[in-house]
Amino acid sequence: MIQFEQVSKVYARGSVAVEDFTLVVPSHRTVVLVGSSGSGKTTLMRMVNRMVDPTSGRVLIDDVDVREGDPVKLRRRIGYVLQQGGLLPHRTVVDNIATVPVLNGTSRRQAHHDALGLLERVGLSSEVAKRYPAQLSGGQQQRVGVARALASDPNILLMDEPFGAVDPIVRRDLQDELLRLQADLGKTILFVTHDIDEAFRLGDEVVVLRERGQIAQQGTPEQILAHPADDFVRHFIGADRSERSLTTTRVDGRLVVVDGQGRPVGVMRDGA
Amino acid sequence: MNWLRLNWTQVVDLTVDHLLLSVPAIVISVLVAVPIGRLAHRRPRWGSPLLGAASLMYAIPALPLLIIIPAVFGTPLRSSATMVIALSIYGVALLVRTAADAFASVDTHTRDAAVAIGCSPRSLLWRVDLPMALPVLLSGIRVVTVSTIGLVTIGALIGVSSLGNLLTDGFQRGIAGEVLTGVVVTVLLALVLDGLLLLAGRLLTPWRVSA
Amino acid sequence: MNLFAQALAWLGDGTHWQGSSGIPTRVLQHLGITLLTLVIAAAIAWPAGVLVGHTRRGSGMIGAITGGARAIPTLGLLTLFGLWLGIGLSAPVLALVVLAIPSLLAGAYAGIENIDATIPQAAKAIGMTPAQVIRSVELPLALPVIIGGLRSATLQVVATATLAAYTSDTGLGRYLFAGLKTRDYPQMLGGALLVVVLTLVLELVLASCQRLATNRVAHPERNLP
Repeated sequence: MIQFEQVSKVYARGSVAVEDFTLVVPSHRTVVLVGSSGSGKTTLMRMVNRMVDPTSGRVLIDDVDVREGDPVKLRRRIGYVLQQGGLLPHRTVVDNIATVPVLNGTSRRQAHHDALGLLERVGLSSEVAKRYPAQLSGGQQQRVGVARALASDPNILLMDEPFGAVDPIVRRDLQDELLRLQADLGKTILFVTHDIDEAFRLGDEVVVLRERGQIAQQGTPEQILAHPADDFVRHFIGADRSERSLTTTRVDGRLVVVDGQGRPVGVMRDGA
Repeated sequence: MNWLRLNWTQVVDLTVDHLLLSVPAIVISVLVAVPIGRLAHRRPRWGSPLLGAASLMYAIPALPLLIIIPAVFGTPLRSSATMVIALSIYGVALLVRTAADAFASVDTHTRDAAVAIGCSPRSLLWRVDLPMALPVLLSGIRVVTVSTIGLVTIGALIGVSSLGNLLTDGFQRGIAGEVLTGVVVTVLLALVLDGLLLLAGRLLTPWRVSA
Repeated sequence: MNLFAQALAWLGDGTHWQGSSGIPTRVLQHLGITLLTLVIAAAIAWPAGVLVGHTRRGSGMIGAITGGARAIPTLGLLTLFGLWLGIGLSAPVLALVVLAIPSLLAGAYAGIENIDATIPQAAKAIGMTPAQVIRSVELPLALPVIIGGLRSATLQVVATATLAAYTSDTGLGRYLFAGLKTRDYPQMLGGALLVVVLTLVLELVLASCQRLATNRVAHPERNLP
């Protein structure tokens, strides 16, 4: 469980990144922070592994303040996935995945062996193990990034717009993969994105942020879609966009779902 | 060519002397310049003036430097130690700025990611900063190597033995073949060492060749 | 550090500042050789570097030339030319030209080649001739880097011009060789200090030229409030 207790972050030049933010991320759940740039979402995430320290307030992991103890040790027990994978370009895929276990003292041979298993787990063949990141596609790099984050078997995964730099089809694959992995592993995931569709797809709970980490609305995707708290949220989730309002129409005895512009988007199953 | 045929054993001996002066100087230059470059990159407030001062040492003419060094370091005037120190000073002057640039060339996004997954400052230096700075650093080391090999010849003016002996001796005795041999062998030596460094660079940075 | 005091005393001695081999004459000779060398070297290296940079091909060739030229020992060229051309100015100037060309060439080439490729392309697209692209787009943008190359060439030439005195009676190097021969180390160090001061002055002048080129020619937009 991750808890944010009234955290604020003011940078040296006086700009306020986050103001009085409180949130609980329950264990084994995926919570998505969604907002545009300037919403402070990345700053909030980076407070969990102490890449940023809050100016005031506390961040707790399982009721222990993250500021107690060594930040390096803290980071090694938290998985972190970021845009474009953040892989080390001068090390092979298998070395990249094995980085943290080796830093933690696992033997190189054992770490490499485990890394091959992880590769398979994230849907890559072991053929890519000896390649360098530059030899992989964007989607493959991103999968390696996920594998690296899982390598030390952390309870917590932080994901900072991990799928932002890949094309829509690959993004969809990666999202599916993450859902499948999460169903297996049940990690505590804090996910940051500016893409509301991604947030709804992945989040057990979604937190919509205004500027400076102000929570506009918090809830399950269904709750937010059904009852947007105000115009800001309504606009942000696109509830007023015509493709979000669906109607059904009967065609040859089957119920076809049609969006606000009259384009068919799917078929209702019998009995639904 | 005639001169070379009669004197090739001397040329071999002088080449060995030449290497014994230049290789230690190149190694010392790297060992001194890299920490200064990193300091200049991490702490510009102290590092930048240090960098400027070190670069300006290149402006000191070689001959007087060879006189000043014994006065400062207590080495005998006509000794290899004096020559190696002088060459190291020029090497450092040439390399510090490239060393700082090399650390600046490390991608901040990658570095940030390494910190975020839990690299300690020490492992960050050895596993991320140094290997990723290596390509730029190596280009600087190649420049230092080539120019050091050329500079060693100056030692002949104060009587420290190297291929430079062929230049001064040939000039004084009016033997163009001897001078030409000195020039050509020096250039060849520089190109061979440069090629070896290029090769070492390829082997040490496999991710760049394959990318 | 007694040596430094003696060197300063040598510099303070009024008799060293007079006559045809006095310090002012030597300084002027030294400056003259430096300037002459740089003018000749620039006349060769700059057009070549600019043209190759403009085509954006030939980085390998430039690298080979600059690397290869760096490997040539200046003392070797000096003595070789000295044997062929005799005692006089031409041998040292020729040797120094070879020394200066790599930095000037690399500066001109890198300055032009480092410009964002879309800029000259856009200039061509709106109807500029190649000459106009070079003159009014590439040269102004490359000027700071070109002057940077001039700075390092100057630094090398001023310091190395002292070697000219090995084959000809010119410049501040005379004090170094005369001092070396007679073991008059204060004179040697005094001469060296003069060279260092001369270098610093040139370095300051060229650094401000480079700043001016950056702020007025290449990136005037950075001065906007």
